[in-house]
Amino acid sequence: MNDILFRHNRPDRAVTLDEYRAEGGFQALQKALADLSPDAVQQTVIDSGLRGRGGAGFPTGKKWSFVPRNLPGPRYLICNCDEMEPGTYKDRVLLERNPYLLVEGMALACYALGVERAFIFIRRGYELAAQNLKGAIAQAHKAGFLGSAICGSTFNLELDVHQSAGRYICGEETALMNALEGIRANPRSKPPFPAVKGLWGQPTVVNNVETLSNIPAIVAHGPAWFKALAATPEGAGTKLFCVSGHVQKPLCLELPIGTTLGEIIDTHCGGMRAGSTFKACIPGGASTPYFTRDHRTVPLDFDPVAKAGSRLGTGGVVVFDQTTCMVAATLNLVRFFARESCGWCTPCREGLPFVQHILERIEAGRGEMADMDILREHVHKLNYAFCALAPGAMGPVEGLLRLFEDEVREHITGGKCPLGN
Amino acid sequence: MVNLTIDDKQVTAPKNSTIYDAAKINGIKIPILCHDKKLKPFGACRMCLVEVEQMRGRQVPACTTPITEGMIIRTSTPDIIKARKMVLELLLLNHPIDCPVCDKGGDCDLQNLTYEYKVNANRFSDEKFHHEIDYSNPLIERDMNRCVLCGKCARICDEIVSFGALTFISRGIETKIGCEFEGSLNCEFCGSCVSVCPVGSLLARPFKFKARFWALTNQKSVCGYCGTGCNLTLGVKDNKVLTTVYDENQGFHNGQLCCRGRFGYQFINSDKRLNTPLVRKNGSLTEATWDEALELVAARLKGAGSSAAALATPRLTNEELVLFKRLMETAGSANYDHSAGYAHAALTEGFAKSFGAAASPATILDIQKSDLLLVIKTDSYETHPVIGFEINMAVKNKGVKLNILSDKRGKLSKLPDAQTLVHTPGSEIAVINALAKTILDDKLAAGTAAAIPGYADLEKALAGFTPEAVAGQSGLAASAIKRLANDYAKAEKALILFPIGNAYPGHNADLASAVANLALLTGKLGTEGSGVLCMAEKNNSQGAVDMGFYATSGLNAGQIMDGCASGAIKTLFVAGENPVVSYPNRAAISAALDKVEFLVVSDLFMTETAAMADVVLPACSFAEKEGTFTSVDRRVQHIKPAIRNIGQSRTDFEIFGQLIAKLGGQAPATPATVFGEIAASAPGYAGMSYASLGETGAFAPVAVTAAFVVPKTVAVEPAAGKLALVTGSALYHNGTLSQFGEGPMHVCPEGYLELSRTDAAKLQIKENDLLNVASAIGSTKLKARITPRMPEGVLFSPYHFGAAAINQVWSGAPVTWVTVTK
Ligand SMILES: Cc1cc2nc3c(=O)[nH]c(=O)nc-3n(C[C@H](O)[C@H](O)[C@H](O)COP(=O)(O)O)c2cc1C
Ligand code: SF4
Repeated sequence: MNDILFRHNRPDRAVTLDEYRAEGGFQALQKALADLSPDAVQQTVIDSGLRGRGGAGFPTGKKWSFVPRNLPGPRYLICNCDEMEPGTYKDRVLLERNPYLLVEGMALACYALGVERAFIFIRRGYELAAQNLKGAIAQAHKAGFLGSAICGSTFNLELDVHQSAGRYICGEETALMNALEGIRANPRSKPPFPAVKGLWGQPTVVNNVETLSNIPAIVAHGPAWFKALAATPEGAGTKLFCVSGHVQKPLCLELPIGTTLGEIIDTHCGGMRAGSTFKACIPGGASTPYFTRDHRTVPLDFDPVAKAGSRLGTGGVVVFDQTTCMVAATLNLVRFFARESCGWCTPCREGLPFVQHILERIEAGRGEMADMDILREHVHKLNYAFCALAPGAMGPVEGLLRLFEDEVREHITGGKCPLGN
Repeated sequence: MVNLTIDDKQVTAPKNSTIYDAAKINGIKIPILCHDKKLKPFGACRMCLVEVEQMRGRQVPACTTPITEGMIIRTSTPDIIKARKMVLELLLLNHPIDCPVCDKGGDCDLQNLTYEYKVNANRFSDEKFHHEIDYSNPLIERDMNRCVLCGKCARICDEIVSFGALTFISRGIETKIGCEFEGSLNCEFCGSCVSVCPVGSLLARPFKFKARFWALTNQKSVCGYCGTGCNLTLGVKDNKVLTTVYDENQGFHNGQLCCRGRFGYQFINSDKRLNTPLVRKNGSLTEATWDEALELVAARLKGAGSSAAALATPRLTNEELVLFKRLMETAGSANYDHSAGYAHAALTEGFAKSFGAAASPATILDIQKSDLLLVIKTDSYETHPVIGFEINMAVKNKGVKLNILSDKRGKLSKLPDAQTLVHTPGSEIAVINALAKTILDDKLAAGTAAAIPGYADLEKALAGFTPEAVAGQSGLAASAIKRLANDYAKAEKALILFPIGNAYPGHNADLASAVANLALLTGKLGTEGSGVLCMAEKNNSQGAVDMGFYATSGLNAGQIMDGCASGAIKTLFVAGENPVVSYPNRAAISAALDKVEFLVVSDLFMTETAAMADVVLPACSFAEKEGTFTSVDRRVQHIKPAIRNIGQSRTDFEIFGQLIAKLGGQAPATPATVFGEIAASAPGYAGMSYASLGETGAFAPVAVTAAFVVPKTVAVEPAAGKLALVTGSALYHNGTLSQFGEGPMHVCPEGYLELSRTDAAKLQIKENDLLNVASAIGSTKLKARITPRMPEGVLFSPYHFGAAAINQVWSGAPVTWVTVTK
């Protein structure tokens, strides 16, 4: 079901502007500029129930509404395409196939927010996506969808593509703003929130690529249509799921939000690999606690996943089979987060490497029972780090201790990895 | 005010406070490592976590969370205490825990918190750091193994010092504080980073292994170097000043100091201090008793009349200067002066005429309250670095606009949006006149201006100073002059700052009047954030002016020197000045001092001048005496002895008093008595007493009687094939005294000649080449320093140094034309 994000996809290349327009592209922008006030666009997005696709699932329209109306000076929109979370690659696929959705979505968002200058912060290494975007921006400019007096209205907009120097923390929205300003990419304290004081001290909204790419369809077809796309009654829209791991066909696909884990794996990814049985998965990118066999019927939407003890996150599903040692898998993830910690706050900077070392010891068969308590304490206390990186890093550790306690115990009592790693 | 509940206590706190501040003002202590009241909130250490009921009991950092009405806060629940313990355990994971050999032991936040939270055994263990310790400079040791990454050092260096020597490097557990490209520290060495370091990562090397902090007696004092009037705490043990101790609550500057203040204290206990009186016998100075020495001096002064003269350093206390004056009057002479006679003229002649008061109608506190600063000469940062910090903060935090008029660029030019107009050396008064002319022509003058006496004369005199006319001689674009005039006149509040001192002969009475005219024309005077601040060089320069210790009816310093040379002056008493080094034209000064029949010098050290004396009297430093100093903005501050007199030295107060007695006069018993007299007679000091000065001092108000004065301008004629040498102060030095401060001498041990890259290329000069600099009056050898800030054709040299002295080529003109050869 490719209703929105993959609707214009060509099998082997990116869609062109002409093709995109022939299929209705940029009509939402034209309609908004001709018939809708900025407030009306914002209200449409609020009504649509769209929630952020960057990981936290914050309602997009609500986030926009936090921008104060009457502060002097410019305001900014930043599209977050840092996408460095292991297991997540949806934004790349999206931009490699269709950069125009984002350009139109950003134009609509900027119109709603009163922004005249917006940035796309894109991960280093996403060369094709960046190239596509730059090309699309140039084309849209030529066609009068960017620049000054867009579509004959009074609305002006410039989009800039900024290629990141490359660091996971740059994806955190306030660190991202520091990076854009050319200073060290540490997160900033909140409050003040970006909506009030963001990039260069001005009101700023940060949204994910996928979030913004949904806006044209929402404006074109209305909130009710968008809501009806979901597989769950409380959900709204579709979701990109990027699946990897021990399945037959790892791929990125657009499905109604709320499609169950089981359906995604069995119906859309061709089931598990030959000889593999499902043991566990990361449901939403590297910072989310594991799902097990028991969770195969959970609809992958924000609230049901949260109720089941994890987070929908980015929709990056990583599937593990019976040969996977969960301690080793967790260690792998924690190693990533420890390395990518910006080093600002004590719990994350000192705590993550320490957790990593404990997991290393357990995996090597040198763990002690007391280590489990120390890990639990870290799961709890690292919640109070400066930004969401450290709590995110503890997501898999929390899952490990809750769902695979026996496996950890076996490592310790047996003095070795039971899976022979 | 906001109402809130902290630990079940109903309290109130000002709006916009953080939880941390609200707790603090209500006497509730929240532990923290990364917070400093002078710096922006940071929130990184996570020690200050508290629970807020309204945030579903979540733990939030007190230091970054603003309070809201009705907030219910708990600062030490069992869970919070556990969380803090864990933060400490994590910090101690990699920390070397080498307290017994760490200088910070006993004064360490990490150590104190570890005790407080009873982290007596660490449940965690991990690999320790193995960072190399940076010993590459003699003042600041950097041991990153002990670092808790609170970032205060990097933040203070950026937010207040605006140097940016330190920064975060790498990420994750490898994060550390370092210099660019992992180099070694090469900075202003103000030691701000050391002062805020909560652990033993940044240490003052001169104090290393000297004493534990608890063994020091802390004595409050006022810095004895420049006129800013920074407050100091001297750490004393066994009658020795071992260090300066940081106190974030001290002074308007919250304990901030420059290199001189923080690391320049060693002159106090220097082993070069004079210990006994010396009397010249058979051509050489030999030890003598005080009585013998004072008898000799008294005999010379008795009835000497106008054949006697006196020069004093404006480092003496107000009370000493009053007494010195009295001594000369008792001897029958009105010949007394200070600072080469010209270095105070901006105040004693310029402001005296323009403002009717020889003092500045503005204070340092106006800097951060202004909208626009006009700084004359980038040197203002070097001469008064802590005032420079105020400028940094005004520009960076308050968005104050900075305009600079200077003969070279400088550190201030690098501040955000700073506009530096670089004019040809010596043309500043013409440029300021052109600003005034623009203000008149563009009808930017205040309505009140025309009523001020002298308006018509000024208007007439400025006729020739159109921006276009001045553009030619100053090298500035007329449009730039006009823009600056408009910006200045249109700013609601604007403050002009300029330094004066021995090395700035061009900053004279005329410059002061020219600047005063701008303020008077536009009415930028008499309100907060506006005015003119003349920054006098030494710690009591303004006091010396206020005490009237300059020539009024007698000879001024220049004439006294001439008198020595001609034989008219037969006895010269020099207290603390070192004219051989600090006055222009060394050859002439030396000849004059050679010639004078009887030279008495009281000083801390055997200076070049003292070495020529017939009697040398060992005097006390500021740390050994009682009295008052007056800062550039007329803050009168009381100092008390921090240590007992060194050796047999006596305070100048004692010396002058004893001489007055020997001459048959009545000497006041104590400095307090004299301060009582000052309070009764010095303008603005009325009603002051030691008690009213308190810890923070008190301002002597300046009453302005305005008048326009037409400044004289002297066109500087370029000399073909020669370069323009301008003199000034180096950042690390002040006068000649700082040559006895080990700190400043470590960083800047000798004089140098700064020149542009273009000139260096033309003359094929490389950094550190030894250059022969020659003028009409002589030559000297100086090391080359090539910097991008110097304009082509302009040279700069600091004047503080006895060796390779610049006054061998500098005759006292604002611009000296010289040739430079290798
Ligand atoms: C450590 C860290 C990394 C993040 N990386 C990304 C990222 O790569 N892309 C992204 O869209 N959001 C990322 N986020 C989330 C952003 O901070 C932000 O919430 C998001 O961009 C908002 O977009 P949305 O409202 O459209 O979801 C990250 C957050 C954290 C804490
Ligand atoms: S949680 Fe980690 S990444 Fe976030 S601020 Fe702290 S150190 Fe940096």
